[in-house]
Amino acid sequence: MKALLIASSCVLLAAAVPAVAGDAAAGKEKSKTCAACHGPDGNSPAADFPRLAGQHYDYLLRAISEYKSGVRKSAIMMPMVDKLTRRDMEDLAAYFSQEKGLFNK
Amino acid sequence: MKISSMVPVVIAGVLTAASVPLYAAEAGDPAAGERKTTMCQGCHGIPGYKTAFPEVYHVPRLGGQHAAYIVKALQEYKAGNRSHPSMRAIAAGLSDKDMADLAAYYAAPPAKTAAK
Repeated sequence: MKALLIASSCVLLAAAVPAVAGDAAAGKEKSKTCAACHGPDGNSPAADFPRLAGQHYDYLLRAISEYKSGVRKSAIMMPMVDKLTRRDMEDLAAYFSQEKGLFNK
Repeated sequence: MKISSMVPVVIAGVLTAASVPLYAAEAGDPAAGERKTTMCQGCHGIPGYKTAFPEVYHVPRLGGQHAAYIVKALQEYKAGNRSHPSMRAIAAGLSDKDMADLAAYYAAPPAKTAAK
């Protein structure tokens, strides 16, 4: 019974941890260009630019990938992400998702 | 003297007006916005909730997002410039006032809404 409990809580824990492939520390290094509009920690000082801090990792990765593929259009964002590799995008998403900012509501 | 001392005030006023984002013309009411969230809560109101269609990923957190940005995103869905099918359908039925109210609600810090 005890073993079952432990096993099932391990399964639950594993399910609760999001699959983050990026490296937040590397992402911080790569985020200097982003900081001008989104703020150094992803809490943008300007209302026109979204807060990224605390956003879900997979949502950030999706958004940035869509700018790169052209599915999502933005005259500002498209040239910014043009030169990013998949690894860069994962690192940036890991960094901004770990900062404090947005919350569930 | 009086006029020259007003110059910085006027300049500040012009700068403030210039920094007001394009879509923020409508003033949002957070309390009214909260009453309009029935269409939002099923996805955005559930911590950790993931989309099922067209791809699986966490729906974005909206709490604390800038109101002007939320309005901009909703306008883009309504205009068809952003692609999520559910969001397009929902935004299509929202007025400018609805968008402003929803944005004001989601942008408000947690303490403010908890006190209601």
